Amino acid sequence: MSIVTVQLGQCGNQIGFEVFDALYSDSHCPQGLCSKRENEVYQASCKERFFSEEENGGMCGQSIHCPLLFSDITNLFKAKSSMCYSVHGPRHEESIMNLIQKEVEKCDCLSGFFIIMSMAGGTGSGLGAFVTQNLQDHYSNSLKMNQIIWPYGTGEVIVQNYNSILTLSHLYRSSDALLVHENDAVHKICAKLMNIKQISFTDINQVLAHQLGSVFQPTYSMEGSYHYRRNPLGELMENLVPHPEFKMLGIRNIPQMSENSLAYSTFTWAGLLKHLRQMLISNSKMEEGIDWQVRPPLSGLPTLGKVSLNRELHFNTSIANLVILRGKDVHSADLGGFKDPALYTSWLAPVNAFNVWKTQRAFSKYEKSAALVSNSQFLLKPLDTIVGKAWNMFASKAYIHQYTKFGIEEEDFLDSFTLLEQVVASYCNL
Amino acid sequence: MGRRRRRVDRGAAVGALPEAIAALSRTLPAGPSPEIFRRAKFDRPEAAPALWQLLFRVLSPLSANGASAPAAQEAQVRVVKSELHSQGYPRRALAQLPEDGSRGSRELLLALAWLLARGPLLERLLAQTRVRLGDEIPLCECEALARPGPPVPRVEADGPVDIRQLQWLMGKLRFQWRKLITSQQEQCALLGKMLRRLESENVRLEAALHWRRQELVFWRWMDTVLGTCPPEASQPTFVPRIPERGAGEWELVARELQALREELRGAAEPRRAAWEARVGGWGPEWSAVQRASREAVGLELAALQRAWERGGAAAQPHGPCRLVKSDAGASGGPGLRAAQVIEVLRSREACLEAVLCQLQRQCRQELARLAGALPGLIWILPPGR
Repeated sequence: MSIVTVQLGQCGNQIGFEVFDALYSDSHCPQGLCSKRENEVYQASCKERFFSEEENGGMCGQSIHCPLLFSDITNLFKAKSSMCYSVHGPRHEESIMNLIQKEVEKCDCLSGFFIIMSMAGGTGSGLGAFVTQNLQDHYSNSLKMNQIIWPYGTGEVIVQNYNSILTLSHLYRSSDALLVHENDAVHKICAKLMNIKQISFTDINQVLAHQLGSVFQPTYSMEGSYHYRRNPLGELMENLVPHPEFKMLGIRNIPQMSENSLAYSTFTWAGLLKHLRQMLISNSKMEEGIDWQVRPPLSGLPTLGKVSLNRELHFNTSIANLVILRGKDVHSADLGGFKDPALYTSWLAPVNAFNVWKTQRAFSKYEKSAALVSNSQFLLKPLDTIVGKAWNMFASKAYIHQYTKFGIEEEDFLDSFTLLEQVVASYCNL
Repeated sequence: MGRRRRRVDRGAAVGALPEAIAALSRTLPAGPSPEIFRRAKFDRPEAAPALWQLLFRVLSPLSANGASAPAAQEAQVRVVKSELHSQGYPRRALAQLPEDGSRGSRELLLALAWLLARGPLLERLLAQTRVRLGDEIPLCECEALARPGPPVPRVEADGPVDIRQLQWLMGKLRFQWRKLITSQQEQCALLGKMLRRLESENVRLEAALHWRRQELVFWRWMDTVLGTCPPEASQPTFVPRIPERGAGEWELVARELQALREELRGAAEPRRAAWEARVGGWGPEWSAVQRASREAVGLELAALQRAWERGGAAAQPHGPCRLVKSDAGASGGPGLRAAQVIEVLRSREACLEAVLCQLQRQCRQELARLAGALPGLIWILPPGR
C-alpha cells in the first residue's frame, strides 16, 4: 500500500528531499546483514510504498512539491501563514488537488498521505492546514499524518506563536496523527552526537530523515513471519492514535552517531533498550545527558494521586508506545522494560498500549538500531509554553490585524485556544 | 469447367493464407506480420531478426516474473541453436547460420514449422502465459494451522471502566473500517486490471482457434517453402516425426550414459570426502545439528508415508488447487473431484461459522458488561443492523 507525500514550504521541500534520499539509500545499501533474496523483498516493499516508476525506468518519489509561494522573506510583519491559508490556498486549490490526484492515481492502493510542513513559518503552516483540510474532504477514508517541524524556542518569526496555535488547532480537527519533530532537539543531536561544528539545515534534515526512515522502512508483519507488513501507516495509527484527543506523536531513536564513529562501536540490545526506555521516561531527546534519577512511580496508588506524583517527578507518562527494532539477533531482544504498567496510564494495559515491530535487515549501516514512536506527555510543556505566549500576545491584541485582514477573525483564535487548552488538559491528566 | 474451378480454389487459398498466418502470429508471443513470413519463404535477410526473436521467445524458458531483459542478438541466436539441437532438429543449415542474426530467414521458418508440427507448441505457450486469476484454494491445513490468529484485545475483568478506554476502542474500530474500505478499493482496482489482461488473453485464444481451423493452408504453403530450398546433400525428408532408430543405437547411448555416470561419481567422491573432513573439524555442535536435521527429515518422511498409506490415491495434495473443467468420462488424474472439494469447503465453513458465533457471543457479553458499568450512557448502534 502506497503513501503519497505532500511537501509544503521551503522546510517541507528540503526535508522531503532528504527523506526520499534516506529511504532510497537504505534500501539499496549493500550492508543489510541479510540474504540477497531478503534484501530484494525489502527493496521491493520500500519501493511499493514510497516510489513510483517513471517511463524511463527510473524511480521517483511519490510526492507533490509546493515550494515557497513568496520571495519576500524580509518582511517579518507579513503574516504569510494567514495569507496562505485564506488567499493563496483557495486560489491554488484546484491545481494542488489536481497534482495530488495524479499521484494518487499512480498508486494501486493508497494507504495515506504524509504532509511535511513547518508549524510556525510562512507557506508551510498556512498551506499545510489548508491542504490537510482539503484532503479530509476529498479523501476522507485515507489516513493523514502530518510531519510537523516544531520551531526553535528562540523564535525566528515574531508571530510564530499565532501561526503555531492556529495551525495546530486546524490540524487537530482534520488530521489523524501529528508527528512532531522539535528543531531544538534535532539541533542538539547534530551538535552533541554527530559532532557537527557548523550545523546547516541539511544536517538537521538528514537526522529527521533518518528518524522517519527507521520507522517506516519495511518490518515483518508479525512475530515469526518473514513477510513484510503492507500497511505500516495504518497499523501505527491504529496502535497509537485512535483516541481523538491524543494525536501528538514523537520519535526517538538510538543509536545516532556520525559515520566515522560507527565503525568503532558495538551495541547490545539490552544496552540500547535500557537507554531508550530511560529516554522515554525522563523525556530526553537523545542518548546523551539522560536523567537517570527519574523512575517510574510505584504501582497501586489511586489514579489522582499518581497524576500529581508523576508531575513532581517529571515522569513522562505514556498512552501508547511502538518500538521498532532493526538488525542482528533482533529476535533475542528483551522488551520487558517497556511492558511495565507503571509506564502507562491506568486506563490502558500494556498489552494494548505497547507494540513492537522487528526486522533482521539492518538500517542504514547501523548493525543494531531501535526507534520509538510514542504518544506521551513529551510535548506537554512546549505546547503549554506556546499557548501561553500566544495568549499573552492575544490579550493585548498585538498583530491581530495581520490576520483579520485575511479573514481570520478573533473567534477563530478563541476556538483555537479552547481546543489546545483541552488538549493540554487531557495530556496533563494522564 | 475444371480450369475455372481451380482458379476459384486458388483465389480462396490466396486470401486464406495471410489470414491463417496472422492468426498464428497473434497466438505466438512476439509474432511477426504475415509479410515477414512471405519474405522468409524467399530467404530475404530483413525477415531474419524478427524470426530469431520469435524462436527465442518460443524456446527460452519463461523466467519467474514473466518479462526478462531483452537478450543481445548473439545470445538469442546461440540459445535458439542449442535448444533446437537438443530437441533433435535435423537440418544442419541452421547450425551454420551466422551469429549476428542477419541471415537465414527461410531456415528459421522451417524450424518454426518443425516445432509446430512436433507437438502441442501453441497449447504449451498459452498455458505458460495464462492469466492467474487467484482462483486457487489450498486444501491442506498446514499453513493455516501454523499461523496464530491476531491477539484479542483484553479488557480488565473488574473495576470501573474509564470512558477514555471506550473512546480508544471506538477509535480503533473506526480505523478498521477505513482499512476495510481501502482494501475494497484496492480490490476493485485489481479486478479492473485483471479484466483487461483477460481480454487480451481472449484475443489470443480466439486467434488460436482460428488458426486450428485454417492450418491446413499453412502446411500446404510450407511444402512450397521446402520446395524452394536448394537440395542439401544427405538431407532426410522433411518429416514432422522423429524416425525410428534401431536397437543398436539405444545400446550405444546407454553405454555412453553409464560411462558418464562413472566419471561423475569419480569426480564427486573425493570432493565429498574432503568436505566431510572439513566439516568434521567443526566440533560437536555441528554433528548435533546434523543429527537433528536428519531426525527431522526422517520424521517428515514418516508422516508423509503415513498420510499416503492412509489416504491412498485420494490423499489431499499439498499446496493450492485450481478448478479445471474436464470431460465427464475422463478418469481422475492428479487432484480431486469437485464433490470432494465441496465437502472439504463445507466442513471448513461450518467450523468457521461456529468460531464466528462464539466470538460474537463474547463481544455481546463484553458490551453488556460495559453498558452496565456506566449508567447514564446511551449506546447508538450503527445503521444497517
